[in-house]
Amino acid sequence: MKIKKSQNDSRLIIALEGRLDTLTAPQLEAELNASLDVISELEFDFKDLEYISSAGLRVLLSAHKAMAKKDGMKVINVREEVMEVFELTGFSDILTIE
Amino acid sequence: MINAIRKKIGVRILAGVIAILIIFASIIGWIGYREFTDLLLEQYADGAFRTADSAALTVNPDHIDRFVESGGKSSEYLASYFSMDQLCNSQDVTFIYVIRPDLTDYGHITFIISTINKNSPYGVYEFGFYRKTTNDEYREKYRALYEGTSERELVIRDKGYIQTDPHITAMIPLKGADHKTKAILCVQRQMDTLVAFRQQFIRKIVLALLVAAAVVILAQGGYLYRLVIQPLVKIKDEAERFADENVIAPVKLTETIRNQDEIGVLADSIDRMEEQIQDYVANLTRVTAEKERIGAELDVASKIQAGALPSLFPPFPDRGEFDLYAAMLPAREVGGDFYDFFMVDDDHLCLVIADVSGKSIPGALFMMVSKILISMAVQNGNQPGAALTRVNKQLCRNNRAEMFVTVWLGILELSTGMLRAANAGHEYPAICRRDGHYELFKDSHGLVLGGMEDMCYKDYEIQLEHGDRLFVYTDGVTEATDSDNELFGKDRMLDSLNHSRTATAAETLEIVRKDINGFVKDAPQFDDITMLCLLYK
Repeated sequence: MKIKKSQNDSRLIIALEGRLDTLTAPQLEAELNASLDVISELEFDFKDLEYISSAGLRVLLSAHKAMAKKDGMKVINVREEVMEVFELTGFSDILTIE
Repeated sequence: MINAIRKKIGVRILAGVIAILIIFASIIGWIGYREFTDLLLEQYADGAFRTADSAALTVNPDHIDRFVESGGKSSEYLASYFSMDQLCNSQDVTFIYVIRPDLTDYGHITFIISTINKNSPYGVYEFGFYRKTTNDEYREKYRALYEGTSERELVIRDKGYIQTDPHITAMIPLKGADHKTKAILCVQRQMDTLVAFRQQFIRKIVLALLVAAAVVILAQGGYLYRLVIQPLVKIKDEAERFADENVIAPVKLTETIRNQDEIGVLADSIDRMEEQIQDYVANLTRVTAEKERIGAELDVASKIQAGALPSLFPPFPDRGEFDLYAAMLPAREVGGDFYDFFMVDDDHLCLVIADVSGKSIPGALFMMVSKILISMAVQNGNQPGAALTRVNKQLCRNNRAEMFVTVWLGILELSTGMLRAANAGHEYPAICRRDGHYELFKDSHGLVLGGMEDMCYKDYEIQLEHGDRLFVYTDGVTEATDSDNELFGKDRMLDSLNHSRTATAAETLEIVRKDINGFVKDAPQFDDITMLCLLYK
């Protein structure tokens, strides 16, 4: 999985490419831990994310909780496969998906 | 034996020193030999030319023609001859002679006066003796003296001549009043003294070098032995000993090897290496023991976990209204999936299938907590939605590891076939109506349990008729992956299920499992595979 970060003042955009699973989720978690304190707005671009597992959902949930106290987190460009997982797990109810 | 000696480093170093000394001695000897020869030869030549100059005074060059005419008999000739002979015997020379080359090509010479030292072993040429010039070197020198391009010439013959021992011949021209060369006066001097001196010199030099070599070898050898070889041998012995015994030396190498150089560093490195290897081995032993202990504990954990899932089939042999079967295949020793079923009361059967977002020990711990909380919530009379809402609150309250669990929970009223269920982020159930096909039932989903505290889960109802089938599963089924990274998927699962529409619940699970195995082949199993099948009779 590739992680592309672009930061604009306090707004961080993370674009993921590949699979977010048990093997790659810790990588994303480390990246987020490094930045969550200094940002107020988080955006995930899932245009090239092919797969997300429960380990990946866990990282998203943590980020969602952390950002809920600030200006929020949103997910954009979600593919059908990933959207299916969001709907199945109920994540589509709590995440802001555009 | 010879090989063993050759392999010793001390022998090799000494051999190198000796070789260098021999080369060094050869160069010095050769230079000394050359210098010595040149110097001695110069003195020899000087002496020979001085004699030649003296001998020249005994002959009047302008009278040489008359000597020849007299056939070597005139009194003037004899006077010259005796003076020269006297000179020859009083000086350290072998021959003094006067010759005339033939002036066309200097290829022959005629002896006019020829005297010899009586102590020499040689004979003397008679007056008028005519012979070939010895070689081209003589010929060129005769020519030079006659043509006036040179006033003195020297021939050195110091090796390889059988007829005459090594000698030099000094030549000067005898010039008349008209400054023309009338004849050549030659003085031959044997070089035996020079050769003898030189041999003595060489003997001395060789002896001196041998003594010097012996001293250097002894001194250098001793120095090398103390400085390099002795400590190296100690280090070698210690390394061999450690390799055999694997025990740290009672006396450290650095305590006996005091070198401040690379050998000291080597000794220190060996000391430290031994300690580190010992530490490493001890550590490894501890870690291995620890690993074995964890392995044994994991084994017990997996037994406890397996025991927590109902595993006696048929579970309710006296209930003929339904056929129920469930199974979990953990990917590791302990898994995060679970299923559960129990009678809430005489008419209500509770079914649970769940998937924890973590594997191994953390997953198993979270799974046990979730399973107990769910069964307690249901036993306390909660409907599925209410039960999940309650369990979610309990799980969120102290969820430090931020784990979550997806749960499908259903309660079937056996008398009516009414199934009330709620879904917390779990896979869609598959339902097969009597005489129909298995289809996914797209129920309404709540968020996974343990995610957000204030979630509310809603019930939905499905009316089951006699002969209907229900199949619930975890994503280990749909996401079973083959070696090309392809997923088993929902379509294959439904196909597989549709091959089992007349089978018992246990047979249905067996068919799906076989199809999964046939699909993934040798690819390793990443996720727990859990399935539950209910036949409403």
